[in-house]
Amino acid sequence: MPISASARSVPKIWFLTLCGAIVWLAAIFLAPWLAGRGAAGAARFVYAVFSPLCHQIADRCFVLDGHPLAVCGRCLGIYAGFAAGLLLYPLVRGFSRISLPPVWLFLLLTVPMALDGVAGILGAWRSPIGLRFATGFAWGTILPFYFVTGVADFFRTRRDRAAALALALPARKK
Amino acid sequence: MDPQKPEYFRPALIAGTVAGLLSGLPVVSAGNCFCCLWIVGGAAIAAKLLAKQTPAVLRSGDGALVGALTGIVAAVVQAIVSIPFRSFDPEQLQRVMDWLSNLGINVPSNVMDEAARTSSAFSSPGWFLLFLLFSAVMLTVVGAVGGIIGVSLFRKKGLPPAVPPLAPSAPPAAPPGPPDAT
Repeated sequence: MPISASARSVPKIWFLTLCGAIVWLAAIFLAPWLAGRGAAGAARFVYAVFSPLCHQIADRCFVLDGHPLAVCGRCLGIYAGFAAGLLLYPLVRGFSRISLPPVWLFLLLTVPMALDGVAGILGAWRSPIGLRFATGFAWGTILPFYFVTGVADFFRTRRDRAAALALALPARKK
Repeated sequence: MDPQKPEYFRPALIAGTVAGLLSGLPVVSAGNCFCCLWIVGGAAIAAKLLAKQTPAVLRSGDGALVGALTGIVAAVVQAIVSIPFRSFDPEQLQRVMDWLSNLGINVPSNVMDEAARTSSAFSSPGWFLLFLLFSAVMLTVVGAVGGIIGVSLFRKKGLPPAVPPLAPSAPPAAPPGPPDAT
């Protein structure tokens, strides 16, 4: 039985996203690696690229070669969780279904990180870096189930609309 | 124009502009430190605006597109808004940080170092444009995630999805006649 174009696109999107996640994680470790080898200018650029997404406070970052990573422990957890979620995606969802996770699951995985973050902002407590990583990791694992699904559905919708338009044009000309 | 097809640009422009402003202003931009709050939140708001103006139920692909557009707009606005602050004034920034601390707001301790580093990293237009390109790519991805999450949270339920109807069906084919004698 031939596989539909929609079903073929999901594995491609999943694979491209996985490659992108690996590059993203590699860049996080690239900044301290460059700094450790004396390439201060290049390291500064990589740190600056991640600066819109993270506070980069040194004592909240893991360290490589004596230099902090380009993002904090929580952000690293989110991105590592995203990569882990991608690896789980084929096992949990498969490539034939395009549907979003339930809202309750998203909220369940968001609450620990939200509580930890809000408590930190209000000064109620200062969580250890390991806990920040863990709560970020938990939230990050569900994000690929939104991203891959949404991007696959975007391309499917475009194809459906183009096909409907192609069918409608000859009918209108009659 | 197809009335079922959502209008993506306006919600993305509104939400992306606000998200970019919040991301570009010093100290306020620290909100992005909380898992890209301004970008993800802005993209989710864009999805909500899109859901309000679209009569049919949105699909996750609609959220991905409006979120990605929101991220791009936010990246551009953030870059423009942050230009005046690239000329780093430590005394002025310290005054703002002291004022926020007096209000009880926990300001990250590295804001000063961050401002100094960013200011020195983008001293030339070439580096700034390269930063804008990378920033746009990253915020597009983050925005897409936020838009899809927004659709799952805010879309209407129980109405037909926003997909154009198929063309009217052709009249049924005539039944095959007897085979021609050859």
